[in-house]
Formats: sequence, C-alpha cells, structure tokens
Amino acid sequence: MTSATNATRLWAAGLTLASLVVAGTAASAFGRMHRTEPNIPGSGLTRQSTLAAYEPSLARTSADTEVFFMDGGRPGGVVLVLGGTHPNEPAGFLTAVLLVERARVASGRLIVVPRANGSGFTHNDPQEGAPQTFEITTPGGPRSFRFGSRNTNPLDQWPDPDVYVHASSGQRLSGAEVRNLNRAFPGRADGTFTERIALAIATLVRQEQVDLVIDLHEASPEYPVINAIVAHERAMPLAAAVLLEMQMAGIQISLEASPATLRGLSTREMGDHTPALAVLMETPNPAQGRIRGRTSAALVVGGRDAVYERAARARRLFVPFDATGWPIEARVARHLTGVVLFARLLGDARPGRGVAIEGVPEAGTLRRDGLGAHLHPPR
Amino acid sequence: MITWIYRGVVLLVLVLVALDLFGERDRRKQLVAAIVLVPLVLRLLMLK
Repeated sequence: MTSATNATRLWAAGLTLASLVVAGTAASAFGRMHRTEPNIPGSGLTRQSTLAAYEPSLARTSADTEVFFMDGGRPGGVVLVLGGTHPNEPAGFLTAVLLVERARVASGRLIVVPRANGSGFTHNDPQEGAPQTFEITTPGGPRSFRFGSRNTNPLDQWPDPDVYVHASSGQRLSGAEVRNLNRAFPGRADGTFTERIALAIATLVRQEQVDLVIDLHEASPEYPVINAIVAHERAMPLAAAVLLEMQMAGIQISLEASPATLRGLSTREMGDHTPALAVLMETPNPAQGRIRGRTSAALVVGGRDAVYERAARARRLFVPFDATGWPIEARVARHLTGVVLFARLLGDARPGRGVAIEGVPEAGTLRRDGLGAHLHPPR
Repeated sequence: MITWIYRGVVLLVLVLVALDLFGERDRRKQLVAAIVLVPLVLRLLMLK
C-alpha cells in the first residue's frame, strides 16, 4: 500500500458514503421481509394464540406465529391445518389464510396455523430469483403477501452441518435439510431453532387433543408426488375416502403412503408420536420447479410458464400443463376441497369427531371468481 | 457464542477493507473495496 493523497482520501470517503447508502437501502428492503402482513380474521374466529404458548423459547422470535381457533356450537373433533410449512409454496399458506378469513365451524374445532415456519417467510432462497412478495387482487384493492423460502432463515439458525442427522431416528440427510421444518418433526426442546418450531406444533397437537393434522404443501410439476394426498398408515382409510369424494367431484388426485423410512415429515412423525391422524396434500407450483422460466410474482399467482408447457408436450411432467397453467385459484381450490372433506369424513374414521366447516367457497366457485374475491380487502 | 465470534471476524475484515480503501491510490481498487463493504456491513448488522 502506498501513501494516499488528500484527493484519493476524499474519493475514498465518497465511496464509503456511497457504500453505506447502498447498504442502508438494502437493509431497508431486507427489514421489510421481517414484517408480517396483517391477518384479517373473519367472524368464525373464537380464539387466537401463538406458537410460543406451546414452546416458550420461540417467544419474540420470527417463528412465534399466530394460531387461530374456530369453535363450533356443537361437539366434534379437532382438526389442525398447517400452511406455510414451506413458505415458497403459497397455495398452502393462502388456503390457511382463506380458512381464517371465511370459515365458520358448525361442529368441532378447527385450528389454523397459516405460517407454520414464520422464519422461512423472512427471507428468500439464494440464487433462485424469487420475488419477495406477490399480490392477490381483492374487490377492495390488492393485498400483498410474502413469498418466502423452503427453509428457516440462516439468521435464525446457522451454520448448516455437512450432514443433517434427524435426532429421533438417526436418518442422515444433506446439511441444508437441517433448516427444513418438514424434516424436523417431532422436534425437541434442546434442539435447533427449526426443531423447536416442530416441537411447538407437536405440543399443540397433544395439548389441544388434535384428531387430524393436515399439512398443506406444493411441489414442482416435474416431481412425482403431486396433486396427491400423502397419508400416515393410520390415516389411510380416511384419506382413501377423501380421495374418492374428490375424484367424484372431478378433482384428479392420487394417494401415497408416507414412507416409513423417510423421517422428520409431519405425516410420519405426527402419526408415530401423537394420537392424531396425519396427512399432507400437494398441488403443482411451477414457481418452485427446476425448469421454470422467469421467476416472477406473475408466475407465483398465474402459474403459467411456456417452458413447462413444452415439457408437458414432451411428457416430462407428472401433471397436465397447458396454456392455462396452474393458477393460484385452482391450487387453493384443491387444498380447500380436501380440507373440508377431511374434516367432515373424520367423523366416519372417529365417530362423533367430525368437524363441519362452512362459509368457504366451493372449488368451482373459487376457480370462477378468483381467490381475491373471497379474501377480505386490505386494511 | 459462535455468532459473536463470526461477527467479530466480519468486523475485522470490514476494518481491514476500509483501511485498504483509504490507503489505496488506484481508484478502481478503491471502488472494488467499497463494493465489498456493502455485504460486510449487512452481515455485521445480521440483516442478511
């Protein structure tokens, strides 16, 4: 290094100032990702809590997310719906939001957690070019929602190990999976941040005597487990009944068993470690696929992608994919239909424990009107 | 604990880069140092 002149020092001071301005602008953008959009519960809400009520170590963290209770006037069972286990799978999250805003429960209790992994909503996956937000147009104006990451924010949990060892089974997965909530169940109190989120949900299931856990997901169109119900073996008869009802309603869907050797999933661990029945549902989401084109908010909401159309013509996908694509309405309609049927038919699997959900739109109505027509206007 | 060690390392690198920025006479190298400062500041403040 040589001694610098006053001119170069002045230039250096200017560059430093410019760096701080850029850093401040970036900090503001990243800070906005930590702000949760307001929830607008409907008339069906009877009680509200947070995950920290079930795992106190989550208090004042990004994972301390809302838990909504909707109780019916008549006795029945208890159904828990998880949205946002993977925050880059928006149909699951938005189905949970729609339930919170529109559902009324006639019998039993419905519990909804729209942002199961709140930390995952505070960042995006690096190098994916994903949008930070997307908008759903309602009659009262556009509502903005966060598009997050599959995994917990590394600001909340780091470093990733080379190999993730699932605590209760010893299963070994790639290191990044250590921040995947759906590989962390049943969780543990002295575990990682993600394992404590999983523990909070498992504790909620036990304390609230949940009969059925429905975990809402999405998958890329080239992934074989798609437009599918995945069920723990104890939930298979119920899932088969729901599958038949959905097929008769014109919704093509398949049924898969939750593999006994793939551990940490909500279906596997809730089914093994709690008295609840556990199922998971998948819809197609081109925004998380590997062969997608530009990753934009329009792709997230509209679900149209020319590259996937070509892939479908070449028979490389596990779902049909034409110019209509897979708009968010179609994906939420599938999830919503499944949730309502699962809740109702739970009464056949566990007599007297059915949950009657009313007030939500039917699949055809939702597809016709658009999702925004059934959401509350922005505050 | 490991996070505080990490932030200490980030602070050390940030100070060294800033010293280089002010000691360097080549303006292009100064510009490179200024660009490197941005992620270091964000890391130090744990914003990204």
